[in-house]
Amino acid sequence: MIGGAFGVTLANARTGDEAAFACIFRDVQPALLRYLRVITAEPEDVAGETWIQVVTGLRRFRGGEQDFRAWLFAIARNRAADAGRSRHRRPVVPLDMTEAAQHPTTADAADQALEAVSTQAAMELIKSLPREQAEIIMLRVVAGLDAGDVAKIVGKTPGAVRVAAHRGLRRLAGQVAQAGVTL
Amino acid sequence: MHGEMPGFFPGRPGGEHDEPLLDMILERRPIPPGASPEFHGLARMLAAVAGPAEPGDLAGQDAAHAAFTRLASRPGTSHAALRSARRSLSERPARGRLPVAAALAVAAAGLGSTAAAFAGVLPSPIQHFAHETIGAPPPPHVASPRPLTVASSPMPRHPRPSDTGSRQPAASPDPVSDKTHRGPLSAHGRKGHGAVPVRATCVPALGEDRGWAVGDTQNPPWPSPVPSQLKPGVTQSPTPSGPSQNRASPGSLPFPWPLPLATKGCPAGTTPYQETHASGR
Repeated sequence: MIGGAFGVTLANARTGDEAAFACIFRDVQPALLRYLRVITAEPEDVAGETWIQVVTGLRRFRGGEQDFRAWLFAIARNRAADAGRSRHRRPVVPLDMTEAAQHPTTADAADQALEAVSTQAAMELIKSLPREQAEIIMLRVVAGLDAGDVAKIVGKTPGAVRVAAHRGLRRLAGQVAQAGVTL
Repeated sequence: MHGEMPGFFPGRPGGEHDEPLLDMILERRPIPPGASPEFHGLARMLAAVAGPAEPGDLAGQDAAHAAFTRLASRPGTSHAALRSARRSLSERPARGRLPVAAALAVAAAGLGSTAAAFAGVLPSPIQHFAHETIGAPPPPHVASPRPLTVASSPMPRHPRPSDTGSRQPAASPDPVSDKTHRGPLSAHGRKGHGAVPVRATCVPALGEDRGWAVGDTQNPPWPSPVPSQLKPGVTQSPTPSGPSQNRASPGSLPFPWPLPLATKGCPAGTTPYQETHASGR
């Protein structure tokens, strides 16, 4: 998160300041890619389309950093949905989807996640959750959005978002418990 | 007991009492040290997911930067500007369509020329050439290899006070002539083209609109060409053998200037070319 300097950075980016835009990009892109890796099989492509749309609408955007992130992730979700529809029209199973289906989703993944605590391993564990729970957890934890913004993005009530997030976290905690790792 | 009622005890995952802890984890706030080890493991795992960028997490930076440079740095960039840019991009290949447009223009001019020839409004030498090549009515003052009545219009014209002179024989309303001569197209052996509605519909209107075509042909400023000089190799026989013989393509007529619009006097939506083809069906 950029924090207090976000307003100035965004204003500079609107005027064409490439350094300001690069600052925003580096701040958001890791979270964006991780979120997209959970919900789509083409995260890089969808991220690129998302940024093009963000750049296009940057001058019209009004709001703070939280609003900006909520706006950007909403765009990303829509683009991911478009990519999913396009993929359904051409029924080709992506290679990474095949690989994801072969990943272990229980104790082995939990062991790996807790031992290495690598980002990738933890994400594989989250991807083992039901899609809705995984997406909401990523939006809450990785994107840093509150329940209200996530509710707007996924089209649910804040209460439903909270319940889904709690269920997902409990499931993850259960996998950690099954792994028997004591930290 | 614990297995039957998961979450009954605070601080353990699976019940309502863990919700404050779960909210703290979701908001990436530090959880109390006394919380369950599973929560600590969960918090650590989620911290790794939300951790700093790793190699590959900034993929696409160059593309996004290029898009920003291309779009956002321009003042007034908007969807309308993007549409305009796309439109301008789509117009660039128009250069490649220029030959097509030129060909269409030539074809249109050729069609207009053909229609004008059938209307009999062309200058005398060219009218004669059209008469020899595509069966248009002959110019009135040029000696035709066929009897003059051959070139007469199959449909009666509406004579006007100014419509006099050499055009009059061609516009003869003589019903006998109309019966014996079925027009130049039929004289050239075309099947089923005895009555060409083109002439019936267009000649009177063109005659009304173009008075110059009547009087100026009396003394044309150019000599009357010999038909064989106009188009070498064209058979001047009055009875050609096939329907396609001696019929020049519309675009090949040697007209060095823009011809009068043949459709000017025609009814709306009809052109002599269309009617000519329709009559053959």
